[in-house]
Amino acid sequence: MKLAKALKSLFLIELLRGMRLTGKRLFSPKVTVQYPDEKTPQSHRFRGLHAQRRYANGEERCIACKLCEVVCPALAITIEAEPREDGSRRTTRYEIDLFKCIYCGFCEESCPVDSIVETRHFEFCMENNSERVIDKQRLLEMGDRFEAQIAADRALDRPYR
Amino acid sequence: MANDVCFRLNHLDRSWALAVYRDQHGYEVLEQVLREQRDPARLIDELKTSALRGRGGAGFPTGLKWSFMQRGAPGQKYIVCNADEGEPGTCKDRDIMRYNPHQLIEGMALAGYVIGATRGYVYLRGEFWEPYERLQGAIEEARAAGLLGSNLLGSGFDFDLDIHLGAGAYICGEETALLESIEGKKGQPRYKPPFPASYGLYGRPTTINNVETLASVPEIIRHGGQWFLELGKPNNGGTKIFSVSGHVERPGNYEVPLGTPFAELLEMAGGVLGGRRLKAVIPGGSSTPVVPGERMMEVTMDYDGIAKAGSMLGAGSVIVIDETVCMVRLLARLSHFYYEESCGQCTPCREGTGWLARVVHRIEHGQGRAEDLDLLDSVAGNIGGRTICALGDAAAMPVQSFLKHFRDEFEYHIEHGRCMVGATPAHG
Amino acid sequence: MATIEINGKVVEARDGAMLIEAAAEAGFAIPHFCYHRKLTIAASCRMCLVEVEKAPKPLPACATPVSDGMKVQTRSPKALAAQKAVMEFLLINHPLDCPICDQGGECDLQELAVGYGGDVTRFAEGKRVVGDPDLGPLIATEMTRCIHCTRCVRFIAEIAGTRELGAPGRGEHMHITSWLGGQVGSELSGNVIDLCPVGALTSKPFRFRARAWELNARPAVAMHDGLGANLWFDTLRGQVLRARPRDNEAVNECWLSDRDRFACAGLHSDDRLRQPLLRDRNGWREAGWDEALPRAAQLLRNIVDNRGGEQLAALAAPSQSAEEYYLLQKLLRALGSPHIEHRLRQGCFTAQEAMPLMPGLGMAPEALQAGDAFLMVGCHLRKEQPLLNHRVRQAVLNGAAAMAINPVVWPSNYPLAAEQTVAPSRLAGALAEVAQALAGGEAGGEAAAMAERLRDAEQPLILVGAVAQMGEYLGAILAQAMQVAEACGGRVAFLPEGGNSAAAWLAGAVPHRGVAGSHAPTVGKHLRQLYAEPVAGLLLLGIEPERDSLDPAAMARLLEAAEGVVALAAYDSPLLREHADVILPLATWAESAGTQINHAGLWQSYRGAVAAPGEARPGWKVLRVLGNLLDLDGFDFNAADEVLAELRAAVDRQGAFAPTPWPAVALPDAPASVEAVAALSPYSVDAMVRRSPPLQAASDAPQPCCRVHPALAERLGRPQRVRVGDGAASAVLALEIDERVADGCIVVPTAIAETALLGALTGAISVEQAA
Repeated sequence: MKLAKALKSLFLIELLRGMRLTGKRLFSPKVTVQYPDEKTPQSHRFRGLHAQRRYANGEERCIACKLCEVVCPALAITIEAEPREDGSRRTTRYEIDLFKCIYCGFCEESCPVDSIVETRHFEFCMENNSERVIDKQRLLEMGDRFEAQIAADRALDRPYR
Repeated sequence: MANDVCFRLNHLDRSWALAVYRDQHGYEVLEQVLREQRDPARLIDELKTSALRGRGGAGFPTGLKWSFMQRGAPGQKYIVCNADEGEPGTCKDRDIMRYNPHQLIEGMALAGYVIGATRGYVYLRGEFWEPYERLQGAIEEARAAGLLGSNLLGSGFDFDLDIHLGAGAYICGEETALLESIEGKKGQPRYKPPFPASYGLYGRPTTINNVETLASVPEIIRHGGQWFLELGKPNNGGTKIFSVSGHVERPGNYEVPLGTPFAELLEMAGGVLGGRRLKAVIPGGSSTPVVPGERMMEVTMDYDGIAKAGSMLGAGSVIVIDETVCMVRLLARLSHFYYEESCGQCTPCREGTGWLARVVHRIEHGQGRAEDLDLLDSVAGNIGGRTICALGDAAAMPVQSFLKHFRDEFEYHIEHGRCMVGATPAHG
Repeated sequence: MATIEINGKVVEARDGAMLIEAAAEAGFAIPHFCYHRKLTIAASCRMCLVEVEKAPKPLPACATPVSDGMKVQTRSPKALAAQKAVMEFLLINHPLDCPICDQGGECDLQELAVGYGGDVTRFAEGKRVVGDPDLGPLIATEMTRCIHCTRCVRFIAEIAGTRELGAPGRGEHMHITSWLGGQVGSELSGNVIDLCPVGALTSKPFRFRARAWELNARPAVAMHDGLGANLWFDTLRGQVLRARPRDNEAVNECWLSDRDRFACAGLHSDDRLRQPLLRDRNGWREAGWDEALPRAAQLLRNIVDNRGGEQLAALAAPSQSAEEYYLLQKLLRALGSPHIEHRLRQGCFTAQEAMPLMPGLGMAPEALQAGDAFLMVGCHLRKEQPLLNHRVRQAVLNGAAAMAINPVVWPSNYPLAAEQTVAPSRLAGALAEVAQALAGGEAGGEAAAMAERLRDAEQPLILVGAVAQMGEYLGAILAQAMQVAEACGGRVAFLPEGGNSAAAWLAGAVPHRGVAGSHAPTVGKHLRQLYAEPVAGLLLLGIEPERDSLDPAAMARLLEAAEGVVALAAYDSPLLREHADVILPLATWAESAGTQINHAGLWQSYRGAVAAPGEARPGWKVLRVLGNLLDLDGFDFNAADEVLAELRAAVDRQGAFAPTPWPAVALPDAPASVEAVAALSPYSVDAMVRRSPPLQAASDAPQPCCRVHPALAERLGRPQRVRVGDGAASAVLALEIDERVADGCIVVPTAIAETALLGALTGAISVEQAA
């Protein structure tokens, strides 16, 4: 027993074993992602920051049905509505509290007009507490910015909906 | 043996004049009944013996209907004559009013006497201008002769008559819708019960009869119920006017005894137009089920005979259809009629008639789908028996019977997008 | 009673009951749309088809009366098939727009479709689209959603009695619309919103504002007429968004007048007071309660100390809570002042000692329906008390006789058996003729006819209304009404316009009586006396002085003459700003606890539905603290209930009340010149109603124009505009010629800005052509 241990330490067996592993990893393909220079792949169902979409003619989709508000398990959505000048049903206030939101995606599922969606965008930050509540203006801007991606993702998911 | 009862004066010149009618024993029955103060119950018995059944379509025994009226009950009662004659294919009442209006007046006065009504209304189809003038003239003549008005012939019995012109709604031929219309309301059927015999015009007991029914009454009382019964056959007493239309040589009204074979009636009308093959017959007006031609040739024209063939005698409007007719197109026309004429009151009829009409229209225009035929059958089944009045059934029955007997034509339309009857190509 | 079997359960049902009622009592809900227990049966939706043994076809449960031995299956395969088929038919042409439909979440069709509808439609054709008629500022229409149940048509014809809605067209083209495309003017029109089982008729003011599921329903009692209709306030985030009827068969059944329903929009008016206001050298400034209350108390204390208690008076609007009236009179009387008044629109105070304990019907509103003769005197019942009028109408449809002696022939929604149109000064005279005819004397045609109907009746009722109240002849009218009532064995019901007048009388907010009619040691000055001999200090409760008074000019003079004015007010007002020293923001009845006492003497308490805006506080709390700050005993209440309990105990202690007998009041002489008739629009009665935008846009909203009989118009030279006035002030208004007005009278709108400077619109008035 003692002899075996003595021989092992004499011939630096552990060291060589370690070196072998190191050598193997040195030449095998790398898996580490160099974020933010590199990014992991995303599902088209990724649930990131919210956005409100518009129709192709620029009309906002949201009809103030308030289903997202009632389905939201975290009570993160607040909506106020009244008739717009043309008589259509529109929100006058649509706010999401991002600190309350748990990104479950129920709002998106409940929406009858595919207005509120969760985009793939997740790298957002805020510097003031008040910024955690995003309003309609902001949501529509997000929608405008990501519309191509949003539309493509919904199209991919269409067979399953 | 024809033209014995309602059309008995048709061969005479100016048969609508009071003098001519008087010559032919007119108003004798009324005079006799009033003079002798005949017991109304006996008169009803006479009607029951005669087996006279309502000629408007439902075929309800007239004697029984009159017996529902509480003659002695206090207050106003009404007799209403249904002369709306809206059923497609029917034109018999028009001719009675044109050629024999006094017999209708006498019949109504007798009915008024029997049920204790002092007031009568004739609900006349608005488009019937000539019958209106004839009947209105006859009413004025009768009034001038003391046959209408107060204290008829010194008997102490008051009876007067007015014409109410309809405005062309098919639904107003339904008796309770007709009452609503006379009251000045929108013509919509009432839910029954209560029946008009207890809650009718202006909420008073009312009896409503067809023109032909009422015009038959004087002759029945004059000759006795047994005489009338023997004109026809048991349970189907008397003669009946058949309005034969469609593909026949001589379309028109034929008053023949009930029980006459269809073949004989077709013969009288000169046979199928151009000697073509008989394809089908709608025996009682557009709302009754269609019967295939060959089956029809075995049928006798009476309530029970036609019922055995799976249809109804209805108002006696025989629509003859020859081999050149596309049954899909015919059904599309019929369904559109019921879609237009549904009153809109109850859901199955309001929504269902439109649905049926649209689907049949689509099939006719070559846009049918395989599942449409079952859909039609199911929708028609969902309407039938679930509406306030019979219009729902009237709309459903043609659809169901056409599909039953001529399903192959519908399938051909769906499959090929055009008609299998060469003469009438589809408009796909 | 009939014994029937429903789904195998043996049930006893009332004879003549319909299956749907019997089933509901047995706990079986049968789906339905067109059936409504208060309306006639249409049997047209066919949703309630059930299977009845021995019946060849399914029968509608709403129109099939029970009969002994009947066996009914409401959920058998046959019944379900029929119900599901009907649901399919209803849905084929119904739009799938639930997300934008205000009825979504409280929709009968939506709910029943879950149980009876299919998941995939078989209907592949185009859906029907229907245009929307404009029914006015109260009812929004989306007629594509209509399922043709005709509940609205039947309601308007049978309950509202105006036949303004109909269903022209046949089959699929049948659609609900208004008579000749006009707006619905019925004072009960809002009820069609509740009746509509789908979203075809919805509330216009509430349109798109909230969903049914997010609202909190808070019970309340309406305070715009003396009925005290029960309602739900639906609130969201501390705001009242709409009112709905709360079923109470004894009061409002399941109905609500438009005024009660849409007045809540006035709660959010921009001129609500939110902060106590103090007058400084530099004008008004906002202050905290801790500063304002001591200042108000000090002001009152100074008046009492320097000028004596009798130099202080309190005026309250007639639609405050019983608790507020009680505390107000307690405070005033504790300070030594007997001058407390709420009858701001009353024109005459003679014979006030003979008034009963409190005005009102003296019987349950339901009992009206069983009445057999009604004589309305100076009473536009239909607009003053819409739901009482509905009860009277039902009685008339059952054969009762309704009669009227009024200065104007107001359109009635039931036939009047007899009618006299006379100037206000002649109302008492006309009554005297009826009394004379009852006593067997000579009388004119209409008076004789009235006497005959009253004599034949078992329970004749004489209704004296707000039109009589607002004249200087009230005493004579009431005295003559008592004469008539005595002669025919009937009763007199005095129905003032105030929403809580009965409570004010009962709680002692009158100068001549204490709580519950108890003896007042000193009889205070009534309103006219106050106008004549102003006092130094005023405490105002809930008053908008330029609109809430019959005589705004005198009210302005009264305020001006006062040295110190403390006003508790819910709404801002120029006259208050001009004359008050302290204005304390008041919660309305919708925002505080309180009690309404209705025409029938029914006490109905309520809690605030929402918190009052800003710093506004309930009146009872403010009065309580004022009492404390003034070192008065008995003001240590912690809840409105405690105030109420004290009032109730006082009422119970008092026992039976016997008013002094009616004195003989001489019949008034008609004025030599043109006589004024004050027209109070039903939508001008109180501050909240006046600020409700939908009501102010409705057809009954006040119109700034005068109306005269053609004969008088002729004498005036048929002018387009007239100058009306009382010497001190005048107003120029458009003139409408209306043959329904009694000759010699001019109907002038009151409680509107244009006539706010005029004196009392009663008696003689000068009218001249204006440029």
